[in-house]
Amino acid sequence: MVPIPRRPAAAARLDAPACRTPESRTPEPRTAEPGTPVEELLRDLGGQLRRGGGVEPEAAARPWPTGLRELDRLLGGGFPRGRLSEITGPVCGGRTSLGHALLARATAAGEVAALVEVADAFDPGSAHAAGTRLERVLWVRAPERRAALRSVEHLLLANGFGLVLLDLAGEAPARTARPRPRDARRGHLERTPAVWPRLRKAARAAGTALVVLGDRRCVGACADLAVETGTLRPRFTGTPPLLEGLEGEVHIVRNRLGPQLSRVPVRWPKPSGLRSPSARCARPAGACMRRCS
Amino acid sequence: MAGSRIACLLVPDLPLAAALRAQPELAEQAVAIATGPGPRAEILSVSPEAARRGVRPFTTTVQARAACAELRVRVASPSLERAARAALLDVALSASPRVEAAPPSAGLYAAEAVVFLDATGTGSLFRSEAGLAAALEARATRLGLPPVVAIAGSRPTAHIAARKLARGKPARDSVRARSDGARQAGRRSGVQKGRNPARQATQARKEDKQLRDEDTPPASDPRPNVEIVHQDAAYLAPLPIDLLDPAPPLAEALTRFGIRRIGELARLPRSALLTRLGAGARELLDLARGASRPPLPAAPASTRCEEALDLEHPLEHLEPLAFVLRGLLSRLGERLACRGLGCGDLDLRLALDGGGRDARRVGVAAPTGDVRVLLRLLCLSLEARPPGAAIEGVALATEGRPLRADQLDLFRPAGPAPALLARTVAELEALCGPGRVGAPALADSHRPDAWAVAAFAPASVAPVEPRRPGAGELSLRALRPPVAAEVRVVAGRPVSLRSAVANGRVTAVSGPWRSTGAWWSAEERFALDHFDVWTSDGTLCRLRLDRIGGRWEIDAVYD
Repeated sequence: MVPIPRRPAAAARLDAPACRTPESRTPEPRTAEPGTPVEELLRDLGGQLRRGGGVEPEAAARPWPTGLRELDRLLGGGFPRGRLSEITGPVCGGRTSLGHALLARATAAGEVAALVEVADAFDPGSAHAAGTRLERVLWVRAPERRAALRSVEHLLLANGFGLVLLDLAGEAPARTARPRPRDARRGHLERTPAVWPRLRKAARAAGTALVVLGDRRCVGACADLAVETGTLRPRFTGTPPLLEGLEGEVHIVRNRLGPQLSRVPVRWPKPSGLRSPSARCARPAGACMRRCS
Repeated sequence: MAGSRIACLLVPDLPLAAALRAQPELAEQAVAIATGPGPRAEILSVSPEAARRGVRPFTTTVQARAACAELRVRVASPSLERAARAALLDVALSASPRVEAAPPSAGLYAAEAVVFLDATGTGSLFRSEAGLAAALEARATRLGLPPVVAIAGSRPTAHIAARKLARGKPARDSVRARSDGARQAGRRSGVQKGRNPARQATQARKEDKQLRDEDTPPASDPRPNVEIVHQDAAYLAPLPIDLLDPAPPLAEALTRFGIRRIGELARLPRSALLTRLGAGARELLDLARGASRPPLPAAPASTRCEEALDLEHPLEHLEPLAFVLRGLLSRLGERLACRGLGCGDLDLRLALDGGGRDARRVGVAAPTGDVRVLLRLLCLSLEARPPGAAIEGVALATEGRPLRADQLDLFRPAGPAPALLARTVAELEALCGPGRVGAPALADSHRPDAWAVAAFAPASVAPVEPRRPGAGELSLRALRPPVAAEVRVVAGRPVSLRSAVANGRVTAVSGPWRSTGAWWSAEERFALDHFDVWTSDGTLCRLRLDRIGGRWEIDAVYD
C-alpha cells in the first residue's frame, strides 16, 4: 500500500498564514527548515529581508521616530505604527515641525506617506528643508473637515502608506451648522465622534501610523498616544539679529504603550535650507544667482 | 515553415448585438430593432425570443407587435453600432497588434461586423489556435458582443468559415432569414425556360436542405462558435456560394449556370468566367479560391475609446443622466481593461435640446477603471456647471493610459499596490476637487510662496539615513492667502503690528530679506521684503512688505 505523503507543517512554510488552531493556541514562529535554500537566504540577508506585500508584524510594531532623542526614548522609539496618535498645541508650539519630522523620517525610510489637511497650510519648501522627500508624499487638500476624514479612510483602506498625517490645525470654525449645546461645550470638532474608532480600526488593520494634528484634542479616548506642545521661545542671536530656532517642551498627556505625563524639552533649530524668505530654489546648484543652493 | 494564419471575429447581427450591449437587461426578452420610431418603421433584426414568438424581419412595427404584444422595439442607433465595431476591434487588439476591421457590407450580410487579426506567432501567448479562438470569443462575449471565431490560412477563408458558423447559430435568425429570402429571390429569377419549374424547384429545395444540413454544426460540438480551418480549398469546396455574398446580378447568373457551391466556382477558368460575367466576377473568384490579400496593417497607435448613446427622450435631471453615464463608463472600462489600459481624462459631449452642444473635459488624476470613481468625477463636473438644456445624446471618450505596474522588492517597503493607489487617488480627487490631490513639488521660481502639485507616482526607492539624527527642524505653516497686517514702522523696521494672526509689540525682528523677480510681466512681477517677527503675544511669524502694492502681509507662521 502506497503511503500518503504528509504535508509539511504549516509553521515550517513561509507562505503559511499565521492562524491559530484549536490544538495550539499560540502559533509557532515562522522559521524555515534548516538547510533549505530559504533558510540560507534568511541567514545571509538577515534583517534586511522584507516581505513583498501585506504588513509584517515587526514592521507594524516599529515606530516612526521624531528625531528628538529624548521624546523618542520616552515613546519607545517614536510614534507607533498601526495606532492613532494625536499632536495638539497652540500656534507656534511646534506641532507642524513635529509632523514634518515624522514625514521626513517616513519618506527617508522609503515609505509612502500622506498628508491630509483642511487649512491648506502645508509649505512644500519648509518640508523639503526639514528632509522630506516630497515625491513620496501624497498631499490631499480637503475643502472641509468631512472630506478630510473620508480621505483618511480611503488612504487607510489603500493599505500601504507608512504614515498618514491628518492636519486639522487652523481649521475654520463651522458656520453653516449651529453646534448642539453638548457639542459646543466640547468644541465643534467633537461632532463626529464615531469616526475616530473607525479610523483607529482601519489604521490598525493597515499597519499605518495615523497622526492627527490639531489646535486642541479631538480624538479623545481613541488616541493611543497624545502629545501636547507648549508655547515655544524663539532664539535670536547675532547683530543684526538672526532667528536661530525655537525652544520649549513637549508634554506626553496620554500613552497607552508607555509612560505618560512626561515633559520633554525640545529645540527646533531653523534648518539651513530655510533662510528667509525661504530658499527653496529648484534650480541646480550653481545655476542660481542667489546662491541659495 | 507554416504559412500565415488569419483569425476572423464576426458578430452576425450587429444592430441587435449593439442594442443588447447597451441594455443587457433585454437579453432574454423579445426585442426587435426597427429603422425608426414610427409604427410603419421596418423591423431590421429580431432576438431569438422574438423570433420564437413569430416576429419576422422586414415587417412593420405594427405587424411585429401584432405577433408579439410584449415585443420591445428599439430604434437602430448608428452611434451604438459604431461603438460596438470599435469594441470588437479592441478585442482583436488584445490578442494581436495586426488587426483590420472589414468595411461594412452592402449586400446580404450588411448587418455583420467583421474584424480580422493576424494569428501568426500567437503560440507564445495561447497554447493553440483553439485557445486563441476561445480567448477571443470569451473577451468579446464579456464586452457584450457574442461572436463567432474562425481561423484559416487567408482572410476570405476565415471570413467564409465565420459566416458559415454564424448561419448555424440559432441566435442569428434574422441574418438567416435575410439570406434565405435572397436565395429564394435568386432561385425565382433563375428559373429557366424550357424546363419543368416544379422539378427545378424540388431539386433546389433538396439542395438547399442538403446544404443547410451541412452548414449546421452537430449538437454535440463542444464549441459551436469556433472553427479552425487547416485545408482552405478543401474546406471551401462544398460550401454554398451565397456565403461569398455575390452581387444580385452575379448571383442570378451563377444560379443560371447551375453553380451552387464554392468549389464549383473555383474550378472554372478565370478568363472564360470574366468574359461571360464581367470584371465583377474577378473578386468573387478570388474569394472562392481563398486568394491571399496584402498583409494586415500594424495596429493604430491611438488608444482613444468612445462610447455614445442617442436618448429616446430628453433628460432634464442629473440623476437619470448618471444612470446613462454609468453604462457608458462601464462599457468604456471593459474595453480598456480588455487591452490592459486604464481610463485617462474624460471628454464628455452632450447633445442638447434645440441643437445646442456641451463639451467638457474632466481630468482623472491617475488611470483607473473604477466606474464609481469616474462617475463621481463626471457628476461633480455636471453639478458645478450644469448643461443649459435637456440632454438628447451623450458621447463619452477617453484616452486609454497604461496602468502603473510595480515590481516588488525584497529590501524596500512595498507601498500601496499601483492599481489600488490609482483608484484611491482618483477617489480623493473626486472627493476634494480637481487639482487638490498629488505630490507637492518645488516650483522653479524665486517667488517665496510658489509651489506646485505633481502627479503622485512614487517609485520604489532605497531607504536613506536622515540628515540630522537626534534633532528636529523648524517648519513653516503657510497662510493662503496671506493675512493683511497693519504695521508701524520706525527706521524701516516694524515695531508693532495688528492682524488676525499676530498682534502687539514686536519683541524681536530679523530681516529684511529682499526677493524680486518676473520684472518682465506686469501681472506676475514681485518685490518682497521679508522679516522674521516675534510679537509680544508669543507669535513668531513671517511678515512681508509687498513693495509693488505697498501692503504689509503675514504669509506664514513658524510652528
